[in-house]
Amino acid sequence: MEGLMESFYSVFEARGVPLFVPQLIVMVVVATAVLIFVAVSVMFMVWWERKISAHIQVRFGPMRVGGWHGWAQSIADGIKLLIKEDIVPEGADRLVFALAPMVVFAAGLAAYVIIPFGPGLIVSDLNIGVLFYISISSLTVVGIIMAGWSSNNKYSVLGAVRSAAQAVSYEVPLVVSILGVIMTVGSLSMTKIVEAQQGVWFVIPQLLGFLIYLIAAIAECNRLPFDIPEAESELVAGFHVEYSGMRFAIFFLAEYANMFTVSAIATALFLGGWYGPLLPGWLWFLLKTYFLIFVMMWLRWTLARLRVDQLMYLGWKVLLPLAFLNMGITGLILVLRG
Amino acid sequence: MTPDEVTEAIKSQFSDAVKASEVKGVEARMDIHLEKSYEILIALKGMGFDYLNCLSAVDRLASGELEVVYNISSLSQPTKVLVRVRIPREDPIIRSVVSLWGTADWHEREAFDMMGIRFDGHPDLRRILTSEDWVGYPLRKDYQDERLVPYEPV
Amino acid sequence: MSTQEIEIAEQTQETMEEMYVNMGPQHPSTHGVLRLLLKLDGEVVTEVIPYIGYLHRCHEKIGENRIYTQIIPYTDRLDYLASMYNNFGYVLTVERLIGITVPERAEYMRVILGELQRIASHLIWLGTLGLDLGNFTIFMYAFREREKILDLFESVSGQRLNYAFYRIGGMPLDFPDSFLTDCKAFLEWFKPRLPEYDALMSDNIIFQKRVQGLGKLDAKTAIDYAISGPMLRASGIKWDLRRNDPYSIYDRFEFDIPVGTSGDVWDRYMVRRIEMDESVKIVEQALQGLPPGEIIGKVPKKLKPPVGDIYTRVESPRGELGFYLVSDGSEKPYRYKVRSPAFVNLSVLPIIGRGCLVADIVAILGSIDIVLGEVDR
Repeated sequence: MEGLMESFYSVFEARGVPLFVPQLIVMVVVATAVLIFVAVSVMFMVWWERKISAHIQVRFGPMRVGGWHGWAQSIADGIKLLIKEDIVPEGADRLVFALAPMVVFAAGLAAYVIIPFGPGLIVSDLNIGVLFYISISSLTVVGIIMAGWSSNNKYSVLGAVRSAAQAVSYEVPLVVSILGVIMTVGSLSMTKIVEAQQGVWFVIPQLLGFLIYLIAAIAECNRLPFDIPEAESELVAGFHVEYSGMRFAIFFLAEYANMFTVSAIATALFLGGWYGPLLPGWLWFLLKTYFLIFVMMWLRWTLARLRVDQLMYLGWKVLLPLAFLNMGITGLILVLRG
Repeated sequence: MTPDEVTEAIKSQFSDAVKASEVKGVEARMDIHLEKSYEILIALKGMGFDYLNCLSAVDRLASGELEVVYNISSLSQPTKVLVRVRIPREDPIIRSVVSLWGTADWHEREAFDMMGIRFDGHPDLRRILTSEDWVGYPLRKDYQDERLVPYEPV
Repeated sequence: MSTQEIEIAEQTQETMEEMYVNMGPQHPSTHGVLRLLLKLDGEVVTEVIPYIGYLHRCHEKIGENRIYTQIIPYTDRLDYLASMYNNFGYVLTVERLIGITVPERAEYMRVILGELQRIASHLIWLGTLGLDLGNFTIFMYAFREREKILDLFESVSGQRLNYAFYRIGGMPLDFPDSFLTDCKAFLEWFKPRLPEYDALMSDNIIFQKRVQGLGKLDAKTAIDYAISGPMLRASGIKWDLRRNDPYSIYDRFEFDIPVGTSGDVWDRYMVRRIEMDESVKIVEQALQGLPPGEIIGKVPKKLKPPVGDIYTRVESPRGELGFYLVSDGSEKPYRYKVRSPAFVNLSVLPIIGRGCLVADIVAILGSIDIVLGEVDR
């Protein structure tokens, strides 16, 4: 990867073109590649979710669109959303209304920068990788509040506030649960964390941390059993109730992209990243990530919804103390080991 | 209490207020006058009939009266009571029994909505099945509405 | 926690930011066109005001203009999820008014179809309650079972939802030849399903936490508000019209009456859940005892009941379904009044809904199990 970039730059240098031109070209190419990956991945996940939910509910799911088991269903749904009428509610703040989905999606997409798909297959191996992920993912809360407020609808505001409260509450145990891993490795760089799992995956010594991370991650993604902000059968219908067509599609995309991100981070931090016998590293990484996504989907179609106060109770009074306990024990063991 | 005992007790206490009475199986049936109707119902509740099954309103057009029918029973004895009270059509007011049986709330609202019987003492007497601005009392026999189409049997 | 807060606030006369929110007639969780006006203080509901009448179809007025037999298809559409039982209640009332005896085979048929209908109705309740709480899968499973019952009903009456199958004096058609085997096969299929649902619902801690202690209805209020059916039994009162005021041939069958203790949503759930088991028992016993014979008794060509009135009640899946008929000796009823259990049970919602959170209103409404067709007539 490094060598390729050097030779690419040297071509431009030889022509006397300033350095930022090839850098810009590289950035655009990489960003496009990530965007295409995200788009294809989300389309696959939407189809997969429908198939999983169908089989759990003893039915078939998409079967016709595109032939074999309706694989083109997501494409059809995407096209449908794209050609829908764009309705902006009267009295809505047009600028904020338009920006909100972009902020949410951009924040979700920016986290892909530090995902280690394989050895060397990382957009940018920041040495503060994990910290970068945590901070960028908090930006989605800003987007949610923008969406709720700009819709000029009191239920949207309520839904957005609930969603923001949930996201913020579950970020704390999420972060604390990863601390155990970070302390063990001694670095925030994603690549170093994966490389430290050559022998034993961190899921074994850090099982408690893994479970807390998984639960908090499901809450971050607003998935059942934590989907109070989005629940249609509740009174307040959620922060994106006034969005339709392409704008809604972007929120939808952002949710699934977020699911992939949290699963990818979990794979990198706990399940050994790209390590595994026989198959190439990136394939193992994708398999592990999609396995975690499967677990999240499985839980969605089996469990009932937690009420808002029960959700808060779980986050603050159960997960957080357990995460601190995990961090404390890990720290103690590390100190005793020397 | 057997239905005969119930009828005897009411008759002995309110002799002139009971127009007619009979006993059919486990049911004691009474037609009572409007004046003492509330006191009779209190007495019946006192005898243990604490379950108001149904409160219906019937339009007795022929005699120029409206009728309120109370079906009362008890969960601890098989005896049932059916009480019928006639009210003059021009000024149909009767005391509400919400204080005796809480379920009368919605039943009386429906009787008001459909028949126009006013229940004195009801906490919130407004229409329940029709819209709030409805004019007229639909279940009355002389209810007129141009949208009502007479039924033509095939 | 929340009811206490309201009491403290009322004592100190704190001004709270109270908001009126409409759970409008169009809502996925109000089981039909029901409007609930909620007075909210933050997340806590301080008042619930139901507005009904959106599905009022002048059922009683229509009844006054039809002959007695013609009213039967209209009764289907009252509680459209338990049509057989509405038919049952109505024909029973007319038969008692006129004094017609129903042959044995018809009585057994009535009980079999009625109890199968009870299972189907409770399955819908189970599925929709799960759906409201976020569990989509139980909805699919419950409807899969119900499909089998609807297939049975289709083989018997030709209809899947509004059967109009009972007649004054008996039944119109006999069971088809395949019915006995099909019904037995269904019961064998169904019996292990209910423990499966327990794994999804009753044994799941999320469901338990959502539902236990919610919407408590004590026995005294229940009697005062004339609550009936599973809601009354969940409040601790062992009252089932099939046992306490038997009609048809229910006194010949052995079945338990499940009773709850505190009258919360959990108890109502368990009562209905066990009732499904009991209904299976009744159907099995009835199938065994089904005698051959006539299916319709001696009924005059023109039904003209004697002058008089009658109130008859049956235990429909939702509670006490009562019909009050006043006859003036002619072919059409003088007054036809339906006492619907959902109408009466819904009137207690403002009392049990106070002090809970918004999300709980949905659960409580689901546990009352209303059908707007019955509430509004």
